[in-house]
Formats: sequence, C-alpha cells, structure tokens
Amino acid sequence: MTDGDYDYLIKLLALGDSGVGKTTFLYRYTDNKFNPKFITTVGIDFREKRVVYTASNPNGTPGGKTFKVHLQLWDTAGQERFRSLTTAFFRDAMGFLLMFDLTSQQSFLNVRNWMSQLQANAYCENPDIVLVGNKADLADQREVQEKQAKELADKYGIPYFETSAATGVEVDKAVITLLDLVMKRMEQCVDKPPAEPANGNGATKLSPAQPNEKKCAC
Amino acid sequence: MPEAEEMINLAYLTDAERQLIMEVLHRDKELRMAEDQRIQKLKADLQDIKRKGAKRSSGRYSQRSCGRCQQSISRLSLGSSQCRACKHNVCRNCRAPCSDGSCLCTVCAKEADLKKSTGDWFYDQRVNRFSTKQGHDLVRSSLKNRPPLKKRQTTGEILLITSTELQQKAPSLAPVPQPRQRKLDANQEEIDEAESSPAGSKEEEEEAAEGVESSMGHRSYSVPGLDIQDEEDEDIDNLVIMHKKTAASSACSRRSSLNTLGSTMSIYSEAGDYDSVDVSGEIVYSVKYDEHTQSLVVFIKECHDLAYGDAARRHCNPYVKCYLLPEKSRQSKRKTKIKRNTVDPVFNETLKYSVSRLQLLGRSLGIAVWHSGRLSRNAFLGEVMVSLDVRDLDAPQEECVALMAKTGSLALASAFAQYKGELVISLKYVTPKKPKTSIRGKKANAEEEGELHVLIKEAKSLVAMKAGATSDPFVKGYLLPANVKSTRRKTPVVKKNLNPHFDHTFVYKELSLALLRDMCLELTVWDREAMSSNEFMGGVRLSTGTGTSTVGKDSVEMDSVGEEVSIWEKMMQYPDSWAEGTLPLRSTMGKKDK
Repeated sequence: MTDGDYDYLIKLLALGDSGVGKTTFLYRYTDNKFNPKFITTVGIDFREKRVVYTASNPNGTPGGKTFKVHLQLWDTAGQERFRSLTTAFFRDAMGFLLMFDLTSQQSFLNVRNWMSQLQANAYCENPDIVLVGNKADLADQREVQEKQAKELADKYGIPYFETSAATGVEVDKAVITLLDLVMKRMEQCVDKPPAEPANGNGATKLSPAQPNEKKCAC
Repeated sequence: MPEAEEMINLAYLTDAERQLIMEVLHRDKELRMAEDQRIQKLKADLQDIKRKGAKRSSGRYSQRSCGRCQQSISRLSLGSSQCRACKHNVCRNCRAPCSDGSCLCTVCAKEADLKKSTGDWFYDQRVNRFSTKQGHDLVRSSLKNRPPLKKRQTTGEILLITSTELQQKAPSLAPVPQPRQRKLDANQEEIDEAESSPAGSKEEEEEAAEGVESSMGHRSYSVPGLDIQDEEDEDIDNLVIMHKKTAASSACSRRSSLNTLGSTMSIYSEAGDYDSVDVSGEIVYSVKYDEHTQSLVVFIKECHDLAYGDAARRHCNPYVKCYLLPEKSRQSKRKTKIKRNTVDPVFNETLKYSVSRLQLLGRSLGIAVWHSGRLSRNAFLGEVMVSLDVRDLDAPQEECVALMAKTGSLALASAFAQYKGELVISLKYVTPKKPKTSIRGKKANAEEEGELHVLIKEAKSLVAMKAGATSDPFVKGYLLPANVKSTRRKTPVVKKNLNPHFDHTFVYKELSLALLRDMCLELTVWDREAMSSNEFMGGVRLSTGTGTSTVGKDSVEMDSVGEEVSIWEKMMQYPDSWAEGTLPLRSTMGKKDK
C-alpha cells in the first residue's frame, strides 16, 4: 500500500464522541464493510485508501487533471481518557471529519466542544471540516433532526452529511467532499502570491519577539 | 497548554494499550518513510528543472532575455511574458500557463507543484501557527531539551521517539525518520535549520539510536542543510551552455554562445601553455552600448601588421578573443572566426554581451589577438585593454590601437601571490636494473634507463572554479623538455571536491639522473568541464630552479622555487626512495620568453 506511487498524501482525521461510529465509518469507507460490534478505539489508529481525485476546472466543471491520492485516515478514540493523546494528533491532519451520532443528542451537543478543540489544536484556526451525522439508518432512534444539524453546520460554514456506516449511505460523499475542500485549499495556498510584499515585512515579523527581549533591557 | 506533559506520557495507559498504540505508530512510520522517499525523488526532479534555468535572483541579467533559458527575447516577440512569481521575463518555451491567464515560469510552476505534492503547503501553515508559541511548547516541554520541533514532525513521530526512549530500548528501535530537506521557503528560519540533509541523516540516526539526547540540539543545527540552491549552482555554467547550444535560435546569440564552446587552446593561455612572439601591429575596433538590445556591442574590424604566430613558417591564423573583465570565464569570452594565413586579417565581426548598462561600470574589455596553431600551439599576438568607464558608449568611434605584449614578468612575480591551494606529491627516481616492482606494479625498463615515479597524492584547499563553490579537479603532468604529448599524464577526475585525493602515479621511463637534472616537471590542476574546455586551477613547476629547458622553439625558464626545487633535488639525491612534499600552487604557469 505504501509504495509511494501517488501524487499526494492527504491526512484526514475523524473525531467526535465515543461510540458515534468513527471506526466503523472509516472501515466502511476503506473496505466497504460494516462491523456492528463496538470495539472502543485505543487512543489512535489509522486506515489508508488510495483514491483518484479529479480536479475541477477553474470554471467549476469537472474533468480537470486526475491525481492519485493516498489517504491516511486517522481514527481517534472518543473516550475522554485518551483526549490529550488524540488532540495532539489534530495538528497533523489536513482535514477533519467531525462526527456525531444522530441517535444521541449528547454527541451532537458535544460537537461544539470538538469544534473548539479543533480550532485550538489543528494546523490552522479554520481548517477544513465536514460535519457528519452518523447512524442515519437507525431512523426510529433518531434524536438529532437534520434541520438542527444543518443549522449548526451552516453556522460554522461547513458541509453536513447524514451517513450510515451500516448501509454505506453518503459515507464516500462525506470523505470526498472533505478531500475536495483540502485539495482546493492546497491550490489556494500555493496559488496565492507570496504573502509578504518586500516592504518591511521582516520588521513586523520580529515584533512579537520583542517583549521577550525587553527583559534584557531592564 | 495544561495537558502538555500528559500528551507525550503514555504511562497512564496499560501495557496492552501502549502496545496497540505503538503498533499504530510503527505503521505510521512506514508510511512516513515511503512518503519521505517519494518526496526526495520529487525534489530531485525540481533540481533537474532548476538546473536548466539560468537567471537567478542574485544575478544581474538583461531584461531582454528569457529568465530561464537566457534566450534573448526580442521586443517584438509576443511569446514572452512575466512569471508572476519570480517576475522574470520568460520565453514561450519556459512558461506554464495558469488558469487565470497569467503565467508562471517552469521553475516556479514546478516549485508550486512541489509545495502541493510534498505537503509543504500544509506544513508551512502549521509552522506559522505554532512557531508563535516558540516551537510549540506543548511538544517542547515534554521533549525536555530538544530543539523546537521540525516542521514536518508529526505527533506520531514524536510519540514514537519518546516512548522508545522511555522504554530504554533505543538501539533496536525507531531511528529518527529522515527529515526532509527543504529551502523553498525563506520564512522557516529555525525550523528549516533543524531540518537536516540526507547526508546528515545517517549520522542522525546513529545518534538517535545511541540515545545521545544532549547532542540532539547541536546535531540538528550542525548538520548542513541540503540547500537546493547549492545543488542548483553546480554545473550551472555547463548546463547554461548546453542549453543555449540546443535552444539557440537567433543567429546572433547562437554565434556568441557557440563561440564560448570554442577552442580548448585559449584557456591554456592562463596556464602559460602557448607560444610567445614579439608583438607587433594594431587592431581596429569600436565599442558601443545598444540600448535597444541591452547589450554591449564590440565590433572587431581588422588588424594590421600582426606578428607571425608561427615565425619559422611565416604563417599566421589570427583570431580575436575578447573578455569582459574582470570576469575571465567562458561566459565572458567571445571570439571571432579564425582568418587563415594572414597578418592583416579583416574580421568585421560583432561580439555581443547581453548586459545592462549599469553593470558595465568599472569593467573593461580585454581584446586579444591570437594565432591559431592547428597542429602546433596557439600563439599570443598582442592585446589591448579598453576601460569601459571612460568611454562614450553611445557614440562609438572606430579606434586603431597598437597591440601590447602581455605583462609576462608581472604575472610571474605574482604567480604565488594568489593562493590557489596546495598539491601533495611524492617523487621517486627508480634506478635502472633495480626495478621496484612494488610500485604499482610498474616495472622499470630492462634497458639501461631509470624511471621517474610521480605519485599525485592529493590537492588541498583548491579554489572553486564552478559556481556553487565546487570543482571537478584532476591533475595533468608534463615532463619538459621532452615531447609534450608523450610525457602528458593525467589523473582521473575527482568530482565535486576541493580537497581531492588522487593517489595516482605518473611513470616516466627511460630517464637518467643526468637527464632529470635538466628537466622540468610541470603538474597542473584542472577543473574538468564536460562540455567545454577545462579550467586551470593552479600548478607547480619542479626543477633544479636554474636554467631553461627548450620545448620546440619555445623555452621554459625553470623558475622553480622553494619546495619545488628541494623536492626535485631530494628525488635525485636519494634514488629509490620517495621524496614527499606539499607544494603551494601557482596561480599561473606563465613563462618568460628568453
């Protein structure tokens, strides 16, 4: 699998409360299988998948260049006791699948907390995130309404998907949407003209260090 | 961050849990290592492309040549436009179109690609975020005295290292995965410095394996980063010439660039390997600056009453060679065609330098006339120096100036003035009938004659000739005054080394001590150029230091001094034993003519 024959290595990470289905979601995505047994994830794990990504043209139509993308999909333990470990992995991911359980109001309420964890620990303050409400197949046990979740996602300005690892519905779409966001950001990062104009940017960069230096002056 | 210590500390986990996590981390490591390899390949690709380029941000170039291939871009050419990243004007061939209609040059486009494919776009942002916290104190505190984390270092990587250390199993586990070198971004100061080169990574792994924690900080700064810039520099001259050669389209630039590939003889002038004649005659030329093409135009009209290059045969094949001084390199050299069998050649040739006007300040033109000896050596026929400062380059005037001789004696006096490095050699005279078979298997001639063995051990502190502070040196030996060709010996080339070890022996046969007393051994160090003439790096002349030896019609003063004399005498004094010496290299082998 890790033969290096790919164009991009993209690292995504799934997070959310314990038991929302992160592991089964990723398992469904990578292996297209469903394991109904709940085995709590110890700390961290990851799965890999090779996909072909087709860049969209500037005008928005598909059919641009295609790339081989190697996805490293980090799975994190939702349990509180692993929290410090898992959040430390946030900084290595380029995009995030923020998951909650559609049958658990609490897991949805905790999305807000996960969001702030992400903002504090990810590689930047506004990383690419997709909100995923999992277990959509368990309609009779549903506690979180689509409208509710959609509103929250809109508030954060992120896409929202209702998925089912059991049936596989929307699983691929959620991941691909996130991949697309990451790839677009990548293009932007590289495309934007060099952030520093020549005029004295060096000086402004130095300024945060000055408070420390003042100690010496005293 | 409050959870800082906890984060790295896996102690609160059970053994089984820790085991599971370690397995994940090791899998991650495998992926990372594959990724590292992939990235190294990509960076090599970039370097390949960069090497094809010519203009550098540091250099000064004409506005009217392509920033990559250095083709001249005429004003009318619609094919040129500016790269929006490096702002070089590039020609149609060195351009990659962008979606928004602007364009990037091939190098910048490749760099952008690389930023994406290596994930640097991500790591750069991450570094920006965490560097404000002084190297991510979260990680730092838990890593004790480690330097701020490397740009690409991941939590998995850190965890793997630290937990290995905790378990005190350092030697068997977790060599630090090769960090990737990069210098694409100037923003990354300390983090970039902490990145190490592939060359250093072995050392790094060893150290990490030994668990020498205290040396870690020192290590990551002392390992020189592989600077793409450096890599790019190497052989760039070569590639420029090659590139120009293949891509030249306009007749003018084609001629001048091809000319730089010209004769190998001209470069020998620096090594003094040429015939001297009594200079006579004059040269007619004009110099002007052409604003339109942003170039210095040297028009060589004709010469009158030149000396015969081959005095014996009253034969002369003159040509004019021009340098834009002080640069005396191939890039600065322009030559006219050779005129056959005349001492009043009419050239009517234009030599051009693509150079901005400002860059001409303080420079001068060295216009020299040479005789091209097709079978014999070239001969210097005279030169003129034209200071560009004091001239009105806008109103060119034809000038007729008497040719001057080279200031040979001056050159000789200063032969050692310029430090060119040292050459370590051993000499041995092998007496006849007592051949030492041990010496590299060379047997002495069964005749009455002895042999001279010259062991070229090494050169030290050579002065780099190629851009990128490197050279590909080799040593050439001549034993004079014997036939030049039959005594020529060469060592193999040692690539990219200014302190090359040659350990190569030249053997000269059929010699006697009496003969050697009147002989002279010239050893010269050269920078190998694959596509062009080699460049002289320095030399020594070994002899008794008195008298002259005559090579053909040319005489060489055996002006050996100091160690050059003593090693030669020692060699003759103690046959069959090695006389060793470290000799300073002369910056010129220029000979006085008697």
